Amino acid sequence: MRPRSDMNLAKASLQGVSLWIAWLVFFALVVLSALNAWADPAKQSSPATPPTELDTFGTNTPLGRFSYHAGRGLRLGKTGLTIGGFAIAEMERLEDGERRGSLEEFNFLISYDPVPFAHLFTELGIGSLAEIERGRRGVHSNPGLEVERLFLDLGNRDALKLRFGKYRTPIGRWNLVPRDPLLWTTSEPVIVEEVFDETSTGAMLHGSVFPQDGALSYSLYGTFLPPLDRESDEHPVRRSAGAHIEWASLKGWTLGASYFASQRRNHRWNHLGGADFLWQPHARVELSSEIVFGEGSINNGTMWGLYAQGVVETLPTLYLVGRYERVHPPGGGRDLNLFDLGFAWVPLPYLRFKADYLIADHRNEFASPGLRMSLSLLF
Amino acid sequence: MSTRILSLALALLVLAPVRLAGQEGRMAVIVHPQRNGELSSNDIAQIYLRRKRFWDDGTPIVPLNLPSQTPLRTRFSRTVLNQTDARLADYWNRLYYDGILPPATLASTEAVRRYVASDMNAIGYVPEGEVDGSVRVILSLE
Repeated sequence: MRPRSDMNLAKASLQGVSLWIAWLVFFALVVLSALNAWADPAKQSSPATPPTELDTFGTNTPLGRFSYHAGRGLRLGKTGLTIGGFAIAEMERLEDGERRGSLEEFNFLISYDPVPFAHLFTELGIGSLAEIERGRRGVHSNPGLEVERLFLDLGNRDALKLRFGKYRTPIGRWNLVPRDPLLWTTSEPVIVEEVFDETSTGAMLHGSVFPQDGALSYSLYGTFLPPLDRESDEHPVRRSAGAHIEWASLKGWTLGASYFASQRRNHRWNHLGGADFLWQPHARVELSSEIVFGEGSINNGTMWGLYAQGVVETLPTLYLVGRYERVHPPGGGRDLNLFDLGFAWVPLPYLRFKADYLIADHRNEFASPGLRMSLSLLF
Repeated sequence: MSTRILSLALALLVLAPVRLAGQEGRMAVIVHPQRNGELSSNDIAQIYLRRKRFWDDGTPIVPLNLPSQTPLRTRFSRTVLNQTDARLADYWNRLYYDGILPPATLASTEAVRRYVASDMNAIGYVPEGEVDGSVRVILSLE
């Protein structure tokens, strides 16, 4: 039997190798696409260059038209590359006395579509650029590049595609798009943040079929690789597997179900189930809810929790938001009740200002009640 | 006399909405003339929501839109996608987070028709009166 330190070393080097392989593949594809863009147009298969959104601004180059569209990124001509992202500034004043403000995230979203059947995507985070905190003098900064996601989608059939890499774990709705510019509140539900790993590194089969008046989508996935970015996954699962199925009706409602099994270092398998729904009964009203039950991958012990959230557009671009959440913590203990009330102002589709107050019936490790505000921008 | 005037006014009131609806005209969803097969209204909605992204032969679908706020696009979004522009902007923000962009936008219905006529993979919508032999109507909508 190999000594544990050797095994850890081997695992760490495997991680390093997989990260480097991923980046090498990425840059090889970039070079290939650049060469493709310079190739003789007569030899290109497409009869015309696919158009893009109308530009916010753009310029013609030897690689095709470089165009930028606000909130949709910079499209680099015929290379198939699109570079965009988002930035978030936050301020919080919590009931425990903590006060802080920060330029919290500056993330890049880079997608690359060299051929119709391949979609390479990465989200790179730069971390905390500037932070001011009560009790600490001056402005603090802790930047560092982090691979939030990196995956390759392969396939030319809607019903079946293969995803390989690091992706958001498809449990429920919230965890798939958890970033501030896409949400109605500044804080996440406990059942999304504290129960299972946000990302999985492995492979996923996914697809959609289209029966009458809707889309039925599924994903089947498994984790079998060490995480790409060790620091972001302090306690990674050894293995995991799961499934998510969703029916999205054109009549304004979506219903989903999730199952997730995870094995941590104690070799025992945890099982987690969940259901989620979204209903838009009116153009100005949105109701959503999720429930999870079982044992997640972060905290050992059986738990259950649910949240229900309502959003109403009261004036044009101004939304009132309310969320109730109840959590039965892992391993028992007193149930936690949380109320999050606030508003979101969306003057432009890519700009969002939010303020909300989180109320908890008692404090524990999962709840930090208080006032939070954020300004987020998609670019 | 007054009864006649009243009858005429009532008739105009009843007919006015019909006339207004008629003025909007029908929309035609168009594809390249060599693109065979049929599409349902649900298929077209899923194409414009970028959930359905490939034709049955495995080639990519290139959906074409009109600029935001144009009356025909608003009507298309309302009748086919069952969504308002504001809701759709939110939807596209979520897909952008996975690197998926909304349908390409062209400046006019004439540009849409010309592009569809030149690309086997394209699909667009125009007023039915603007359809000519360079494209095939795959679905006609109110």
